[in-house]
Amino acid sequence: MTAAARRRPGRSIGRTLTGLGVALSLAFGAIAAGAGYWQVLRSQDLAASPDDIAVIAASRQVVRGVILDRDGGTLATSKRDANGEPYRVYASRSVSGVIGYASRLYGSAGLERAYDAQISGVVPADPLRGLLRKFQGLPSDPQTVQTTLSLAIQERAVKLLGADTGAVVMLNPQTGAIIALASTPIYDATAISNPATSKATFEALQNDPSQPLLPRATQGLYVPGSVFKIVTAIAALESGAINPDTSYAEQPAAETKGLTISGYTIHDGHHTQTGSRALTFPEAVEVSCNVYFALTALKTGGEALDARAEDLGFGKPLLFPLSTSSSQVTGGGGEFGGGFRDAVELATAGFGQGETFVTPLQMALVAAAVANGGTIMQPRLVDAFVGRDGTTTVNAEVWRRAMSSQTAAEVTAAMIRAVEGELGRQFTSGAQIAGIQVAGKSGTAEIGGGTEPHSWFIGFAPADNPTIAIAVVVEHGGRGGARAAPIAGDLMRMALGL
Amino acid sequence: MTARPMSPPEASALLWARLRPYLRPRPRWRELSLLGLVGLTLWVGSLTLGTTLNVQAATLAAGQPPPSLDGLIAASRPELLAIYLLALLGAHLALVVVGRRTDQILLPTIGLLGGLSLLLMERLPQDLAGRLGGLAQTQLVWLVLGLAAMTAAGVAIRGDAWLRRYKYTWAAVGVGLLLLTFVLGREVNGQRLTLQIGPFSGQPTELLKVILVVFLAGYLSENRPLLVEQSTRVGPFRLPPVPYLVPMVAMWAIALGVVIVQRDLGAALLLFAVFLLLLYVATARWGYVVLGIAAFIAGGGLLYAAFGHVRTRVDIWLDPFSRAQEAGYQVVQALHAFARGGILGSGLGGGLPTIGTSLPGGIPEIHTDFPFAALGEELGLIGVLAVLGLYLVLIERGLRIAASAPDEYRAILAAGLSLVVGVQAFIIAAGNLKLIPLTGITLPFISYGGSSLLANGLIVGVLLALSDRGVGAPPAPRRNTS
Repeated sequence: MTAAARRRPGRSIGRTLTGLGVALSLAFGAIAAGAGYWQVLRSQDLAASPDDIAVIAASRQVVRGVILDRDGGTLATSKRDANGEPYRVYASRSVSGVIGYASRLYGSAGLERAYDAQISGVVPADPLRGLLRKFQGLPSDPQTVQTTLSLAIQERAVKLLGADTGAVVMLNPQTGAIIALASTPIYDATAISNPATSKATFEALQNDPSQPLLPRATQGLYVPGSVFKIVTAIAALESGAINPDTSYAEQPAAETKGLTISGYTIHDGHHTQTGSRALTFPEAVEVSCNVYFALTALKTGGEALDARAEDLGFGKPLLFPLSTSSSQVTGGGGEFGGGFRDAVELATAGFGQGETFVTPLQMALVAAAVANGGTIMQPRLVDAFVGRDGTTTVNAEVWRRAMSSQTAAEVTAAMIRAVEGELGRQFTSGAQIAGIQVAGKSGTAEIGGGTEPHSWFIGFAPADNPTIAIAVVVEHGGRGGARAAPIAGDLMRMALGL
Repeated sequence: MTARPMSPPEASALLWARLRPYLRPRPRWRELSLLGLVGLTLWVGSLTLGTTLNVQAATLAAGQPPPSLDGLIAASRPELLAIYLLALLGAHLALVVVGRRTDQILLPTIGLLGGLSLLLMERLPQDLAGRLGGLAQTQLVWLVLGLAAMTAAGVAIRGDAWLRRYKYTWAAVGVGLLLLTFVLGREVNGQRLTLQIGPFSGQPTELLKVILVVFLAGYLSENRPLLVEQSTRVGPFRLPPVPYLVPMVAMWAIALGVVIVQRDLGAALLLFAVFLLLLYVATARWGYVVLGIAAFIAGGGLLYAAFGHVRTRVDIWLDPFSRAQEAGYQVVQALHAFARGGILGSGLGGGLPTIGTSLPGGIPEIHTDFPFAALGEELGLIGVLAVLGLYLVLIERGLRIAASAPDEYRAILAAGLSLVVGVQAFIIAAGNLKLIPLTGITLPFISYGGSSLLANGLIVGVLLALSDRGVGAPPAPRRNTS
C-alpha cells in the first residue's frame, strides 16, 4: 500500500472542492485573457481589416475618402452612378499597380484595400474623438489619404517603361517614403469600379496573359543578375570574408578559360580590358566581374550570405502596406549551408543567378540601405490620414539596421565607380546625371530559354547625401546598362528637379 | 375508497390540509433585492436597445442621423421584458411561500443571464428560428418554462432517495437516450443531435448531462470508501482500481461514440470533462484526471486521423484565417465581432450580427453557437467579464452547496451539477474565442433553445433543493454490491 493510498480516506471532499473551484476559476481566467487578447490587443487590427464585415458594408455605402499624391494632386475620387451609389474614379492609369481599385463587385486591391478601413471611415483618424463619435451615433468618417507618391514621376516611369513589362520603385532612403511604385502593363481601374463596365473589364483583365492585375513592383519575382552582387558584397564585407582590397590570384586566368567549380564552369566575358590584373573589390563591382563574386560567395559561405540577405529583408514578405512576395537567395532545403544545394548554386547565387529571386521593391530597399548608411527606413506609402475628426500622421521610422556604416561607405564607393568609373560608365552611362554623383549597379539577368535577359538597375543619388534610391527592371529588356539604367537616370534627374 | 365523488369544497379543503404543512412563508430579502437590481439592469438594457434601434431606423429613413433623441427613447418590446420579470417575481414568490431555507443568489444570477438572452434574441433577426412568432417570443416561452422547472424542482424535491437508490436505472435511461439519438436522431447541420418524437423535438444530450451527474454521484460516493485500499497493477504501471477504471473506459468509449455517431464534439467534451472532474472530487487525485485527458487526447488523435469533420474542426481552430471565406468563416467572423466590440462594446443593438440577413456576412448560427460573440461585440470586454463573473458566481454557489452538504452523495451531486453548467459555459466561450476548437454546444441560459434552458433550469432547481439547510438527515446509504 502506498502513501498516497493511505492518505486518501482522510481527504475530505471539501478540500477537493476547493481545488476544483481554483481550477475552474483559472479556466475562466483563461477565457477572460482570451477575450482581452481579441478585444483589446487585436481589436484595431481586426476591426480595421478589409475582411471585416463592418468595413465591407461601410465601403459599399460610403463615399470613400479622396487619395492624393504628395503634391496634393488627386489620385482617386468618387462619382455617383445612375442609382446614386458612389463608385471610384482614378486620375491616372499609371497608378493602377499601387493604388489598385475598389469595386462593389470585385472587392479591392492595392492601397484601396490596405487602407480600406480608413478610406471608408470605419476607423477614425483620431481614436479619442472616435470614441466620442461612438456615443454621438454619427456615421463613419471617411479619410483623405495623403500619399507619398508623385503622380508626375509615376507617369514618367510608366511612359519610360513603354510597351515593355516591368517595374520601377523609387523611394527616399532617408524617410522610407515611396515616390513611385510603377508596374506595367497598367490597367483602367476606373472601369473596374464603374458598375457599368465592371464585369467585362475585370474578366478581360483576369484572362489577359500579360497579367496586368499582378503588381509586379511588390509581387513580381525576378532573377536579379548582377544587381544581386551588391547583396553578396554586403554579406562578404559585413562578415569579414573580404575587404575592399581583397583580390583572387586565380581570377584573371578564369576570365578566359572559365572558373570551374565541382565540374561546372562559370564564364565571364564582360571585361577584356582588365587583362591579367587581379581585381580588387571596387574594380570588380565596376566591371561586374562574375568570377570575383562567385569566389566571394564561396568565401563568404552560404550561411552568412543567407543571414545577411535576411537582414536586408529577404526570406519573408516585407512589412509594407501592400502585400509583397518574399525574395529568396536560394531555393532552400540544401545541405551546403544556408540552404544551398552545393558549391555551384552558391557560386552562381553570388552574381544573382542560381535559385535567386527578388522583388523590385526588395532591390530598391537594398539600394536604400546602402544609401542611408546601412539603416533601412520603414517603406511607406502614406504621409497622413485626414478625417473630419482629426489627422493621423504616419512618421518616418527606422525599420532595421542591415549593415555597418563602414560597409555602406565601401559599397557606395564601389557603386559610384560602377556608374562614373572609366570602365563602369561603358556599361551604365545612362544612369549618369550631369553635375551629380550617382551610385548604382546594373544587371543583366539571364533567364535561359533563348529569350532576352531581364534588364536591371539599382542605385541612388546624390551619392554623398542620397535622397533618391531606385530599382528598375524591364522584362526581356536586354542588357542592364542599355535599358534599365537610362530609365533610372531619367527618373532620378526628374526627382532631383534637374 | 368510497365511490362517492368529493364535492369541490371538500376536495379543496383536503388539498389545503395536505399542502398546509409545506407552506411556511419566509421572506427572502436578499433574493428580492438582488432581483430588483436585475430588473433595473435589464430595464436599462431594454431602453438602450430600443433607443439604438429607433435611431438606426430614423437614420435609414432620413439618410442621416437624427438631430436629437427626442421621441426616440423607448424600451425595446417592453411587454416581453415585463413578462420575464413577472416570471422571475413569480419564482421568487413561490420560494417565499414554501419558505425553505435555500440559496438566495442562484435565482438572481440566472435571472440576469436569462434576461441578457432575451435582450439578445430581441435584437437578432426574428426569423432565425422559433415557431411562436419569432425568436424572442419563443425564447421567452422557454425561459419562463426553464424558470418553472427550476422553481418546481426547488420547491418540490425534498429527498434524494429516488435519485440515489436507482442510479443504475438512471444510467440505463441515459444510455437508452443516447442509443435512441444514435438511431433515430435527425441530422441538423451535419450533427445528429436532435431527437424528434411526434411534434416534440429536443436535444437529449442536455438531459443526458443531468443523468450522468446523478449516476456518477451515486456510483462514486458509494464506491469511494470501499475502493480506497485497492489498486491495479499492470506491469510497472499503477492504474486506478478496477471499479474506477471500468466507468472511465466506459465514459471514454461513450464520449468517442458521441463524437463519431452524433458528430457532437462539444457534448463529448462536456460529458468526459465532468466525469473526470467528479472523479477528482471523489478521489482527490489529479493523476486520474491527467490519465483521462491523455486517453481523451489519444482517442482524439485517432478520430482526427479517421474522421474528416474532426480534422476540419481542429484545422479551423489552428488557423481559421487561412480559410476565412470557407470553413473558417464562422470562427473568423466571431473573432471580428469580438474585435469590433473592443473594451466598451457597441452598445446593445449597435453591433453587426444582423448583417447576415441583408448582406452576405455575419455569423451563422449566432443565436445558438455564438451568443457569446454577439455579447462580446455589443457589451464589449466589460460585458464579457461580467457574464463570465455570473457563471463563476453560479459555480461558487454550487461548490458552496456541495461543501456544506451533509454527505458525500449530495456533495458530489451538487458539485457535478454546478460543474455541468460551468464546464459547458467554458467549452463554448473558449470555442468562440478560439482558445479550443469550436464545438456546437449551447451557452447555458443565454443560447437560444428549449432543451438547454429546461435542462439548466432543472439543474439550478436541484441545486436550490440541495442547498436547503432545513432538510433532515439523509437516509443511510444502501450498500449494494452489484
